[in-house]
Amino acid sequence: MNVCYISDESFPTFVKSLMKKTPVVAPVAKGPRFIFDELKDINELRLDYTTTVLPPKKIFFPPKQDLLEFDNGKAKGCINPQEKILLGVHPYDIKAISMTDKLFSSNYPDSNYLANRESITIVGSNVQTPYERSFFGSIAQEMELAGHDAFLTKIAGGYVLDALTEKGEKLVAGAELDEASKEQISEAADVNAKAEKSSPKKLEFDADDIKEKMRASFKSKIWDELSEDCFSCGSCNIVCPTCYCFDVQDEWGLGTANGKRYRRWDACQTSEFSQVSVQGGSENFRENRAERYRHRMMRKTAYLNDKLGVPACVGCGRCASACTADIADPVNIITRIMEN
Amino acid sequence: MCDGKTNIAKDDNIFLPKEAEVVEAKKMTASETHFILKMRNGDTMKYKPGQIVEAGVLGYGEIPLGFSSSPTQTEKTGTFELVVREVGKVSKALSALKSGDTMTLRGPLGNGFLVDECKGHDVLIVAGGIGLCPMRSMIKYILDNRNDFKRFSLFFGAKSSADQLFPEDLEEWRLSEGIEYLEIVDKSDEKWRGKVGVITQLFKDIEALDASTKVIICGPPVMYKFVIAELERFNIPLENIYVDLERRMKCGVGKCGHCQVNDRYVCMDGPVFRFSDIKNLEEAI
Repeated sequence: MNVCYISDESFPTFVKSLMKKTPVVAPVAKGPRFIFDELKDINELRLDYTTTVLPPKKIFFPPKQDLLEFDNGKAKGCINPQEKILLGVHPYDIKAISMTDKLFSSNYPDSNYLANRESITIVGSNVQTPYERSFFGSIAQEMELAGHDAFLTKIAGGYVLDALTEKGEKLVAGAELDEASKEQISEAADVNAKAEKSSPKKLEFDADDIKEKMRASFKSKIWDELSEDCFSCGSCNIVCPTCYCFDVQDEWGLGTANGKRYRRWDACQTSEFSQVSVQGGSENFRENRAERYRHRMMRKTAYLNDKLGVPACVGCGRCASACTADIADPVNIITRIMEN
Repeated sequence: MCDGKTNIAKDDNIFLPKEAEVVEAKKMTASETHFILKMRNGDTMKYKPGQIVEAGVLGYGEIPLGFSSSPTQTEKTGTFELVVREVGKVSKALSALKSGDTMTLRGPLGNGFLVDECKGHDVLIVAGGIGLCPMRSMIKYILDNRNDFKRFSLFFGAKSSADQLFPEDLEEWRLSEGIEYLEIVDKSDEKWRGKVGVITQLFKDIEALDASTKVIICGPPVMYKFVIAELERFNIPLENIYVDLERRMKCGVGKCGHCQVNDRYVCMDGPVFRFSDIKNLEEAI
């Protein structure tokens, strides 16, 4: 497939040509942080971003997604994919997307997710400024970087754009880009190799050892201690690129017979998550915050590891910074368990 | 994986329910309603005893319910049965449905009782309260295929005689020779002539249980531990005990995470579990 070179001078023109054809969602600054948002002005593009507040999954698995519309007792689906280019996705987020792809397409494939996902063209980009709480260089390393359509690497004077799929090829078709030289391709490989290891935090343990030790710690008192300051707010869930739990609710429209059924991101750290209504009240199967706190870590390191072959954590560091009490950092939690 | 090659047909939407017509809605108690249903598209619902459906009303939502009829009956009549206990918003909307109304359904979902493993063995069913409803699918199945099973016992505990569901069935089972039926209520009243106490007391009334007996338990969460302790007294191995778990389920297909117990999804891997498989899962019961 095509490997092109785009100089810093011609890069804005290239992105603008993409924006003319298809909405481009990319990292932009929001206050002191960054978010993925539809690019309206090329000058807002910040490929030097650290990490975004919410992961890019929100583009195809939105915080609130309609599942059904109903009118006079008749229901129909709401699958309505819109083509978009998701530009500037860091490798750790690409891995997380591969994970949710697998989870939503296994057993009962969820077309509400998959149709949106397939309408997105993903252009990855190397980490230029590693986020201070990130540890992507030491987790999910066995996982191949896949599922994206093109990859953009910042080198001196410009970018190397590697088109990896048909969708990726479409981006460069007709753009009259120069082919990248051997030197440029080799420089890009060096940049990526360095970028992949550039995260400041590090997990020193092997994924299988983590899984084993975490499972063995299930009944340990350490979970009470670790979760002591937890507010059960669910922020760690909401910012996580591999969390995908949701709630389903119905709402009526303004008419008397029409409405919608939608799903909304949910969080296993909240006390209502595992509640079951029973006559005269409710039962809660993870009533204590220590149980919920443990559940999140077990899911990431053990339960989903069994399904994915790697831990369902990509080291983005978002949960670490989103937690008000600063007790959600997987590096700290896993290290404590491993050394316990 | 998503490689752009998956062709998604619109009718593959896992959240799009099918319509069932309420053939009959019978109030059983102050809070329970018994529904007899048939699919509006003319299909026969194909299910196994112990499987569940997501039953709903558009505009209110869905809840998981176990079939309370046996597939042997559905094959003959084309109808199937569900029991709704009114506890929340959705169950209230479901309970208000009348004959001719539409109930939406997704399913059958999950794994049912391991019928084949029970064949050729003694079977004991222990049901508490509304736990009788999903068990009824298995009880009726066994009675319809009685020769496939050896000794068949049913222990049923309810709060009071007024809370006993399916009184006509109970009357039939009291008289039937095909089933050894023992019952108990927490609180006696003028009408009640039977035993009073907790369900585990019924184990005192039997002399022996063959160690190869297959036992199925469904009831309020508090019941499981005590019943299992009794079974251990009779040397029933934990592999022979099946439990039917209840959880909040939003998707019913192993995605939304609500019913997750350790690494199992009650909706997909259950709701029936072999007790030996989940006994170490702290959050299970």
